[in-house]
Amino acid sequence: MELIERYLQAVKFALPPEQRDDIIKELRDNILSQVEEKEAELGNPLSEDEQVELLKKLGSPMRLASRYRKQQQMIGATMFPIYWKVLKASLALAFLVLAAASIATAAAGKTLMESLGVLFRYPSVALMTFAWITLAFSALEFFGARLRLKDTWDPRKLPPLVKQSPRKSRFELIAQLLVQTIFGVWWLAGLHYQYLILGPGIAFLRFGPVWQTIYPLFVVMVLVDLTLTAAMLVWPQWIQGRRVSRLVMSALGLVVLYFLINAPDLFVAADSITPQLQALAKGTNYGVHLGLVIAAIVSVVNIGIESVRFVGRRLGRVHQATVS
Amino acid sequence: MQHTVEGPTNNEVLENLRLELRRGCLILAVLAELRDERYGYTLRKALAGQGMEIDEGTLYPLLRRLESQGLLVSEWREEDKRNKRFYRLSADGKLILKQLSAEWKSINASLDGIL
Repeated sequence: MELIERYLQAVKFALPPEQRDDIIKELRDNILSQVEEKEAELGNPLSEDEQVELLKKLGSPMRLASRYRKQQQMIGATMFPIYWKVLKASLALAFLVLAAASIATAAAGKTLMESLGVLFRYPSVALMTFAWITLAFSALEFFGARLRLKDTWDPRKLPPLVKQSPRKSRFELIAQLLVQTIFGVWWLAGLHYQYLILGPGIAFLRFGPVWQTIYPLFVVMVLVDLTLTAAMLVWPQWIQGRRVSRLVMSALGLVVLYFLINAPDLFVAADSITPQLQALAKGTNYGVHLGLVIAAIVSVVNIGIESVRFVGRRLGRVHQATVS
Repeated sequence: MQHTVEGPTNNEVLENLRLELRRGCLILAVLAELRDERYGYTLRKALAGQGMEIDEGTLYPLLRRLESQGLLVSEWREEDKRNKRFYRLSADGKLILKQLSAEWKSINASLDGIL
């Protein structure tokens, strides 16, 4: 019955999120009832060809799912789920490009206003993105209807089943909380007692002043991290917990990265006289700066991806699923 | 001079009008069948048995719409080792069915005269 599950998965993809599970449950029962009846009639299990025939009678997954959505004006209900996903992905991509450009501007030593100015262009870029994608899909809808595109689809070509990532167990969350607490205490203490972090390296290098300037930010990060994990432990039914947690921590991390990237000396020589130590500090600062810029770009990408998934789900819930 | 406008064929026009005509009838038929509690699959079979074929893509969304309008109530229950969603008419549904049936009879009588 894998083919049937793959069909249901494809239908689920295009259903309104708030009714998704309920609708799929009901459709599954209906399909299985049909299968049972057919099997009783034939006296043997359905072959793949017979399953294909049965699914074809139900119509393509997108078409079936579209019946549960309200009819759109410019873009039909069949096309709308694809349009919606493409629009969200494109808006996120536009944000990522601008955010990366903004970080690159900051890394190049420009002022905060100049680097933020790049990001502030987002509303106009987003509007243009929205307009072009809507136009493209409207055209596709219009010409698709004119050309009377046939509903040619083959259940055999449906995508394979995707395994759901299991929710973290209580034990895993407690272990995570423990590790986060140990790491948080070590890190916060280490910024004051530097040998805890730098070890024997303290004879050569010390943290620059910026680490103390943003110390409160580190405290906030540790507290927020612990609070979010504790919240997931207390409310296991909070499905979006992991996503929210990653999003908030990535955003806070980005703020920290911003300050670090803009700091002239992340590390200073332990001895301000020895030229070798000065060179070591300079080289280390260059290498770490480069690493931080890469980390910032990765962080922006993560935030973009997580935001799209999170906002997508929230918007999906708001999108009313009345049936046409 | 005769102008020809490219448009849907007669068959398509007929199909669209037929669907429109059926849509209202289907609602009445579904409401009437749900005076007794049924789940989707048996409802579809009962309708088909009375000559009222309806595909899943039409029936299930219709059931949800009627439920959201307060005309039906539903509940998940296990039967034959599987969970099934059972639907039946609500109190409002019964009232609406009565009114719609009267309307249907009136239209039918009028149409009989007209046709």
